[in-house]
Amino acid sequence: MPYYRCVVPKDSVPYEQRAAVAKAFTDIHCGNTGAPRSFVHVVFDEVDDSWDTAYFLDGGNRAGRSEEVKAELLSDLMGAFREITGVSSEEFSGRITEGPAKWTMEGGMVLPEPGEETEEWYSHGQAAAGG
Amino acid sequence: MSRVSFNCTMQEGQVGEEMRARLAVALQQITQDVLGESPDDVPVTFSDIPRGFGFRGGEPSTTSLVRGSIVGGITQDVREDFMRRICDRWMEISGCTVDELVVSARDA
Repeated sequence: MPYYRCVVPKDSVPYEQRAAVAKAFTDIHCGNTGAPRSFVHVVFDEVDDSWDTAYFLDGGNRAGRSEEVKAELLSDLMGAFREITGVSSEEFSGRITEGPAKWTMEGGMVLPEPGEETEEWYSHGQAAAGG
Repeated sequence: MSRVSFNCTMQEGQVGEEMRARLAVALQQITQDVLGESPDDVPVTFSDIPRGFGFRGGEPSTTSLVRGSIVGGITQDVREDFMRRICDRWMEISGCTVDELVVSARDA
């Protein structure tokens, strides 16, 4: 976690843009939350069927952050996606759902609740990013 | 309806069919050992993220995600034991490192 799934029409977002979105999402998430970069997952899911909007951001985060942080995070992520891909606001919607951190184990450690991260957890995340 | 089910997502080309079969059996066995469920009642599905479509830390990802769903829920002590066993066994079979695996066990 976090896990950001970008649902996009088939063949609509080339690799260079996907890589740029992934980097931007990582920068934004870490800038907003302080999480280690190695914990940010971004995937692109090409679909044939249309959703309510042609492009959709389905994010999953640890529960426990303030409404202000969550709103800013979603706004920043969606803004970066639109800027990189050229997709309009009308074509793009998104949400971030949350789940208890303790339900997930990553890097061999149960995820801490937001605000309860330890030095050991940060150190492990940095080591994973460099490895 | 099954009480426990798994959805496993891997990066394309990293886990072959033979290994998937072994991983599925391992997940079912761990579920039986920890939660007492019959292996036949534990569905395991696999899906691939195509190359160039999965990223971690802004770079191409080599990470697999194992998502378990448990109807009725379990205590946190049991959950941690469950996730730890899955983590250890998955690494043993697949050869991945601890940093290439995310395991979740969610109450449903």
